[in-house]
Amino acid sequence: MKLPIPVSFKRDRVPGLNGLVGALVGPLIVAVAVCFVAWLVYASFPSMQIIVLLFGINLVMVVGYQLFVGSTGIVSFGHVAFMALGAYAGGISAMTVTEKSIFLPELPGILANLELPILPAMAFGGLVAALAALIVAVPLMRLSGAAASIATLGLLVITNNVLNQATSLTHAPQSIYGIPEVTTLTWVLVAVFAAVLISALYKWSPAGLRSRAVRDDEMAAEASGVHMLAARVWPFVLSAFLTGVGGALYAMLLTAFSPQSFYVPQIVVILAMAIIGGINSISGGLVGALLITLLNEVMRRVESGSSLFGAHLTAPTGISAAVLGVALILMLRWRSEGLFGSFELQVGNDRRKKPDRPQDSGLVKAPSTPAIESQK
Amino acid sequence: MTALLQHIVDALSVGSTYALLALGLTLVYSIMNLINFGYGILLVWGAYGYLGLTEVGLPFAPAVILSVVGVTLLTMAIGRIAFRPFIGAPPITLLITSFAVLLIVQYAAIVAWGEAPRIIDYPGAFTEVINIGALRIPLLEIITIGAAIGVVLVYFVILNRTPLGAQVRAAAEIPDMTRLVGIKPGAVQMTVFAISGAIAGVVGFLWFAKSGAITPRSDLDPTLKAFIAIVLGGLGNTRGALLGGFALGAIEVLMSVVLPSNVLGYEPAIVFAIVIAILVLRPGGIAGAKVNPA
Repeated sequence: MKLPIPVSFKRDRVPGLNGLVGALVGPLIVAVAVCFVAWLVYASFPSMQIIVLLFGINLVMVVGYQLFVGSTGIVSFGHVAFMALGAYAGGISAMTVTEKSIFLPELPGILANLELPILPAMAFGGLVAALAALIVAVPLMRLSGAAASIATLGLLVITNNVLNQATSLTHAPQSIYGIPEVTTLTWVLVAVFAAVLISALYKWSPAGLRSRAVRDDEMAAEASGVHMLAARVWPFVLSAFLTGVGGALYAMLLTAFSPQSFYVPQIVVILAMAIIGGINSISGGLVGALLITLLNEVMRRVESGSSLFGAHLTAPTGISAAVLGVALILMLRWRSEGLFGSFELQVGNDRRKKPDRPQDSGLVKAPSTPAIESQK
Repeated sequence: MTALLQHIVDALSVGSTYALLALGLTLVYSIMNLINFGYGILLVWGAYGYLGLTEVGLPFAPAVILSVVGVTLLTMAIGRIAFRPFIGAPPITLLITSFAVLLIVQYAAIVAWGEAPRIIDYPGAFTEVINIGALRIPLLEIITIGAAIGVVLVYFVILNRTPLGAQVRAAAEIPDMTRLVGIKPGAVQMTVFAISGAIAGVVGFLWFAKSGAITPRSDLDPTLKAFIAIVLGGLGNTRGALLGGFALGAIEVLMSVVLPSNVLGYEPAIVFAIVIAILVLRPGGIAGAKVNPA
C-alpha cells in the first residue's frame, strides 16, 4: 500500500531537524484522527456532546499522564491530585467576582478579585498544579519503583484531605458552585493539540532522552553524567501542568464538583487508557483513550439496561470498573507493553542505513536507542 | 501519667492492627514482588462473610473461624487465577494487576452486598470498657492486641519451626536454588497466599469491629494504612513491617494528641507528610529494605 505521506512506527526518531518534525507531526496526526472521530459524534448526536467534551479532557489528561509515566517508568496513582488542583484553581479563577462573594465569601483578597477568561484560567489551573508538583517532586522523585508509586498515592490522599478541609477556598465537603460553563469543543481541541505537542517536544528533546535513560538503567545513566533527580522532576512538573489544564477544563465544563470527584475511582480510567494504549507511546495513549471511552459507553448502556445489538443486558452499577479490571489483566497478560508498546507514529523517510545491531525486544521497559546524539 | 498510659495503650492497639496488615502484605511481597492493592478488599470480604454467617444464625466463634477460612480460600483462589501467571513480571506490572483484581473483587462485593452501608452485629462484650484505676480501656483494644500477639506468634512458629516455613524462607532468599533442590515454587506461593489471606481474615474482623459499619468501598483505608506501614518499615522486611505498623500507630495517636483542634482535620495529610519525610531521610525504610521474611 502506498500512502501519500510516508508514515511509519518507530521507537526512536531520526536525527536532525527533519526527524524531529516528523516525530512531532506523527502523534499530532493520531490526535487529528482521534479528534475527528470525536467531532463526528459531537456533530451528529447532540445528546453525546458532554461525553465528547469529557473524552477530549481525558485525552489531555492521558497525554499528561503518559508524559510522566512513559518518561520515568514510575506508575503514578496520584495524578488525579493535579486534576483536582487544576479544577479548583482554574474554576475559582474563572468565577465572576460577584459569584465569588456569594459562594466563597471567605476567599483571600487576590483570588476574590480575580476574574479570568477561559484561556488564562486554564493556564492558571495548570500552573497551580505544576507548582504543587515542583514542591513535592524533590522528596517524591528520590524514591524508585513501587515505593514511588505508593508515595504518589500518598500525594493524592494529602491533596484530597487538604481540599476537604480548606473550606474557605473550596466550599468542601459540599460541592463548589458558580463556575462559568465556558468549556467548548474548540478549547478542548486546542488543549488536546497543545498537550500532544508539548509532550512530543519533551519526548524527543535531549532532556526526554535523559529521562528515558534513567528509566531504563538508573545506574548506567547516572554514571554517564545524567542527573537522576532532574530527569524525573521535569517530566513530573510538565505532566502536572497538562493534568492541571485538563482539570481546569473539567471544572469549566461541569461547573459543580467536590473533592470526592477527584479520588481513587478517577485514577482507574486514566490508568487503563494509558496502560492499554501503551505506556511508552503518546499515540498509544490517544488510541487507548478512545477504546476505553467506547468500552465505558457500552458498559453505561448495559448498566442502564438498554438493548445492545439486539441483546438485552442489565448489570448492577459499577460494572464498567470491573470490565476495566478484566481488560487490564488480559492486556498485561498477553501484551504487557500495551497496544502500541514504545512505538510512535512518525512521518518521513529514514534515509539512514539500517544499523546492524539486533533490534531490541521492547517489553515494558524497552531500551531506547539514543538517536538524538548527532542532533546539533 | 494516666493520660500517657492511655495513649500508649491506644497506640499499641491501633499499631497492632497496622502491624498485622503490613505482615500479611510484606510476606507476599518478599516471595513474589507483589504489592497487593486488593488487600483491603479481602478484609471487606472477611467482614461480609462474618456478617452473612451471623445473619443465618451461626454463633460467634464458628462465624469468625469460618469467615477467616473463607478469606484464606478466596485469597488462594485469587492468587492462583489472577497473580500466578504474572509471577516474575516487573513489580509495577504486578501492582497494576492487583489494582485490576481489586476492581473485579470489589464489583463482586457490590453485586453481592449492595452499595449501602451495613451494620455488623458484634457480641456485646466488644463494646465493654475495663476500668483499671483511672485507665479506661475498651475491651476491643485488648482483644486486638491479644489477637495480634497470637497471630505474630503463629506466623513465626510456622515460618521458623516447620518444613513448610523453611521452604518459604528459602524461596524468599534464593529462589533459584530453592527450585533446584526440588521445592515447587507453586506450592510455596500458595502457602504464602494462604498465610496472607488468613491474616487478612483476622484483621478484617478486628478492623470492622472497631468501625462498626461496612460498605464494598471500605477497602481503601486499610489498604492505604498497610501500604504506609510496609513502605515505612522497608519493603519485604518482616520485622520492618511490624515496626512500620507500630510506628504508624504511634504517629497517628501522637498527632491526635498534640495537634490543636483547628488543624486536627488535616491529620491524615500530616501523617502522610511525616511518612514521606522519613522516607526522604531513609529511602529504604526504618529497618532498611532487605528481603528477610522471618
